[in-house]
Amino acid sequence: MSFFNSLDISASGLTAQRLRMDLISQNIANANTTKTEDGTPYRRKVLVFQQKSGDRPFSEYLSDASKATVGVGGVRVLKVADDQTPLKRTYDPSNPDADKDGYVSMPNVDVTTEMINMISASRSYEANISALNATKSMAMKALEIGR
Amino acid sequence: MIEDMFNNTYVLQKALDASWTKNKVISNNIANVDTPGYKRQKVEFESYLAQAVDNKALKGTTTNEKHIPVGVGSINRIKIDVKEDNSTTMRLDGNNIDIDSEMSDLAKNNIMYNVLTEKISGAFRNLRTAINEGRK
Repeated sequence: MSFFNSLDISASGLTAQRLRMDLISQNIANANTTKTEDGTPYRRKVLVFQQKSGDRPFSEYLSDASKATVGVGGVRVLKVADDQTPLKRTYDPSNPDADKDGYVSMPNVDVTTEMINMISASRSYEANISALNATKSMAMKALEIGR
Repeated sequence: MIEDMFNNTYVLQKALDASWTKNKVISNNIANVDTPGYKRQKVEFESYLAQAVDNKALKGTTTNEKHIPVGVGSINRIKIDVKEDNSTTMRLDGNNIDIDSEMSDLAKNNIMYNVLTEKISGAFRNLRTAINEGRK
């Protein structure tokens, strides 16, 4: 029973959701970017979350070797990936990036989707805060034993 | 006598450990609410405790401290297991966390923990009263 492990779990959730929020902002900010640094239109960025298995001390392996190891270690961001859905083709001959037919490849960012994801991220963040506060209040309560 | 003195608190202590583990697992569930393919985890303790209490099986007597207890439910031997719940499906991405039930479990567990700490404090208060012969 490591005491601060619980707090770390919630903290990993907070970090992940905050990064998700950053990426959503990035997507919305670049909703009309037709040229990135390598010259291609901007592609929507998505996060890949992965469960983190907790670091178990050696003593725990000894005491319950037969127990199925279920990791309790929070969440981590595996990678930031590009959304591979096709880019939007819009007819805009006046755009300098237009091809010879007058079509421009616009980023595959859907602002509505981003807004919905933003709400989801912010709610998940709040849920993690609640878990963190619950852990904290439990720890403080344990200190009162024997008072 | 002196070993019996803390018997009550040993049970409560174990329950506190279970409650803390439960909090950890619920926190983990909440942190992984957006992880694709993640399956909900739960803590198995109450059923083990009930099993140990109900255990009507043959009991062996230990006359030496090196004897292996047979059928005698020592509180230390009750396990606190973390298990995966694969029985339900919530979303298309294979994640089966229901955030509402996790939040209510979190609140429930928090109150349970407070109750247990209160009980342990009470047990110690009783001892102190006995030691002070009823005086303050």
